[in-house]
Amino acid sequence: MTREELAAYATEKFAGRLTPLATGKYDPLFLVNDAGDLLAVARALKEDPKLQLEYLCNAGAIDTGKIDPPDKRFEIHYSVASLQLSLRLDLKVVLPAGKPEVESLQPVWPAADWFEREFWELFGIHVRNHNHLGQFLLPDDWNQGFPMRKDWDAPDFVRMPEK
Amino acid sequence: MAELRTEEFVVNMGPHHPSTHGVCRLMLTMDGEIVTKIEPVIGYLHRSIEKICENRTYAQCVPLMDRVEYVTAMSCGYMFAGAVEKLGGIEVPLRAQYLRTIMLELNRIASHLLFYGVTAMDIGAYTPFLYGLRERELIIDLFEETCGQRLTYNYIRIGGVSQDIRPDFVPKCREALNVISAKMSDYTGLLNENPIWIHRTKGVGVLPADLAKAYGVSGPNLRASGVNYDIRRNDPYLLYDKFDWNVAVRPNGDCFDRYMLRLDEIMQSIRIVTQALDGLPDGEIMAKGVTVNYKAPAGEVYHRVENSRGELGVYIQSDGGKKPVRVKIRGGSYNSLMVLPHFATNRMIADLVAIFATLDVIMPEVDR
Repeated sequence: MTREELAAYATEKFAGRLTPLATGKYDPLFLVNDAGDLLAVARALKEDPKLQLEYLCNAGAIDTGKIDPPDKRFEIHYSVASLQLSLRLDLKVVLPAGKPEVESLQPVWPAADWFEREFWELFGIHVRNHNHLGQFLLPDDWNQGFPMRKDWDAPDFVRMPEK
Repeated sequence: MAELRTEEFVVNMGPHHPSTHGVCRLMLTMDGEIVTKIEPVIGYLHRSIEKICENRTYAQCVPLMDRVEYVTAMSCGYMFAGAVEKLGGIEVPLRAQYLRTIMLELNRIASHLLFYGVTAMDIGAYTPFLYGLRERELIIDLFEETCGQRLTYNYIRIGGVSQDIRPDFVPKCREALNVISAKMSDYTGLLNENPIWIHRTKGVGVLPADLAKAYGVSGPNLRASGVNYDIRRNDPYLLYDKFDWNVAVRPNGDCFDRYMLRLDEIMQSIRIVTQALDGLPDGEIMAKGVTVNYKAPAGEVYHRVENSRGELGVYIQSDGGKKPVRVKIRGGSYNSLMVLPHFATNRMIADLVAIFATLDVIMPEVDR
């Protein structure tokens, strides 16, 4: 399946649940319409015989810094692949600024484990049904909030004026 | 006689254990000499490279990437440059693509030679370390002559490479490859006929293919478990689809296969570099119109390369400004370490050292 065929197939098969985004110039990128539907979408993508996306390459949270309107501040980007069929596809969910929360994808892709620990520790995005959220990359006595958020600066950081 | 009662106890392996590659700590629950539970504790080398990138221009990010995984800094530099080029649709001149392919593969050979040395030393053989580093030096010298650096090269730039090769690079490179391929029989001869080495590695630490796929293990560790998948062939970048080479695969997934697979890969890399040297065209080495203040157009992209430790990928989100909104780096070692607690338990602690060594984990890539 070429990239275009893959994009067309997934768009048709998951109509209403996934929205293709124009920004994905190379590998198809889809927005999961309802963040609560994420786990079900992930399972369907993995079990679909024409996709077999069984391999999670990467998962990263993004703080876009957009607080107006507040329901689109955080994003999570998942890159998945099929080793058998040599396919690649990206998923994205959008989360609100208030209490961002996402479902753990470990039941589908166990590799999500450590990536999800970073969501919580660095961004403050709570991961439901994850049994090991806590200290991970940061020092044990860390109490200065979530450092990868855009409104967080290191205490000794000096922002130079933009030219 | 009173009944003997044993209890489990916790041992800290690291943060500065000589066999951990970088600063890693493994909390081991032990039953005598048997490891019953492994809990990796990471973060000792966390330098927040991803956060720093958000306050740097795209060109300033490139030298930072060399620090993500300094044993194969070439592919880290290419990973980031390639992602920005994808985002901006930059056409890179053919000569620069050839030079990048040559440098990435030479770097892979150097990395696998280092692996050969340090793995053998971890398991208790000292001589291979000297052999591996001796031939690695030939490649590092080539890099030093080309870009002035031995470890963190900053050679691959967005849109091309920083400078052209010296006139005597090609003959010197061919000579180095001849030396290395001639020494391969020395490497295998030193270890593969050694009954101690065979006992320490064959059948030890078998990583099943299903488990490896589920936990996102990639690169040589995945292929040593019998999964025929290589990003260079399955999702080609640079010029790998132009050359004639094979993906090395081994079926068993034990320490011995992980070690042998890397030696197989050295031979394949030599094939790729030889063909690239033969076909090296003349021409420009930098794309036109890419300046220091290059701004990537708005969008997002995930770009991945096959590093010597597995899939090395970067996700970049841009809003069209001078600096990236988000840079997320994914290293092969991250997943190799993640899967360790799930297959390395219920063996002797000495076997854990062998398993950890053959997974070829390097900590700066895990902690970033």
